[in-house]
Amino acid sequence: MVRLSRVLLKDAGNVIDKTLSEILVCPLSKQPLRFCEKTKSLVSDTIGVSFPMKGGIPCLVPKDGKILEEESEASKKNIK
Amino acid sequence: MRRINSMYGRIGMLRRVSEKLTKQSSDTFLASHSFSTHGGYGGDGELQQNNSKVKIFDRDLKRIHRDRAAWLSSRHKNNSFVDAVADNLLDRLEDCKKSFPTALCLGGSLGAVKRLIRGRGGIEKLIMMDTSYDMIKSCRDAHEDTLDNSIETSYLVGDEEFLPIKESSVDLIISSLGLHWTNDLPGSMIQCKLALKPDGLFLAAILGGETLKELRIACTLAHMEREGGISPRLSPLAQVRDAGNLLTRAGFSLPGVDVDEYVVKYKSALDLIEHLRAMGETNGLLERNKILNRETALATAAIYDSMFATEDGTIPATFQVIYMTGWREHSSHQQAKRRGSATVSFRDLHKQFGGQSES
Repeated sequence: MVRLSRVLLKDAGNVIDKTLSEILVCPLSKQPLRFCEKTKSLVSDTIGVSFPMKGGIPCLVPKDGKILEEESEASKKNIK
Repeated sequence: MRRINSMYGRIGMLRRVSEKLTKQSSDTFLASHSFSTHGGYGGDGELQQNNSKVKIFDRDLKRIHRDRAAWLSSRHKNNSFVDAVADNLLDRLEDCKKSFPTALCLGGSLGAVKRLIRGRGGIEKLIMMDTSYDMIKSCRDAHEDTLDNSIETSYLVGDEEFLPIKESSVDLIISSLGLHWTNDLPGSMIQCKLALKPDGLFLAAILGGETLKELRIACTLAHMEREGGISPRLSPLAQVRDAGNLLTRAGFSLPGVDVDEYVVKYKSALDLIEHLRAMGETNGLLERNKILNRETALATAAIYDSMFATEDGTIPATFQVIYMTGWREHSSHQQAKRRGSATVSFRDLHKQFGGQSES
């Protein structure tokens, strides 16, 4: 029974925990994060970085973040 | 490397953005400015590599150490030193009338803290955070094995120096033996303070300057004999007087610091090193010498034995732990009175108690 629930948890791991979604912000900019369904990652729109989620656990270490190139170009244009 | 530089460069871009955005986001942004001790954000959004003035510790190496510690600690179940520290820290929760529904546990010996909570402090939601993914995974697996569902636990991988927690969102932050590996300790503490709700509690245990003094002496002597010079083998650790300053500098009210010394006995110097590895406390200095001569290592063990061994052949190791307590300010806390609001003058006091002290 325990093993079954662990497997189920792993599959459901792509949905972010409710507690976490209320509390988490981007580690660099402290702005709210957006959960992107396509890439299963948390995106920080203000600085254009996406943080991966491994096994249902968000990895918000700055080094793990990936820069989203196209979106940053668009946002730069908007600022100007 | 380039990727990381450009990552921090993003914050510079953000600064320009925030000036045009709404007021409320600039408030939080100003708050995050205050923790940067280096004026790294200053100027025109040009950012150096990191906020902290000095990089003493290699954070990436620490992550790897903690990954290894996660694998090793699954074998060594009894770690009485770490349990004692966590217990001491959690005991302080019993002294508070307040209950803390949401708690955040930062790095260090997470597993011990979680295991030993036992309902203290009225914690309902616990968030576990660590820089190492393997450590978090092993905590989560241990949690599932025990089927203990009284506390709702969430897991998160994050860096203590860049706390990904919204302002005023947690009641309690506990860090047991984790913060002595941060490069920018004042900055981390300021971020912790911001993440706390008003009247929230910050509890931390860090290793103090007297820790492993025997090992430090033995290493230095062995090195000087064998290699003619010394390289840093032990990290710089905080002194008790610094702990108080750190708390006030971070802006905590009602700060409290106390020290405790634990002497742990080992069968040999090798056991000590094994234990340090299992806790993830091995050398993480940037300036470290990556090569350790076999001769020097043996000499260290021999010197340790000859200088510090007890009668029954075991060797002691001192761990000095500094416990820090701080609260986020709240209207119910004691405040210093406003200047000019004194009702009694010093002269009256002196007349009352005069003759006892001259100053």
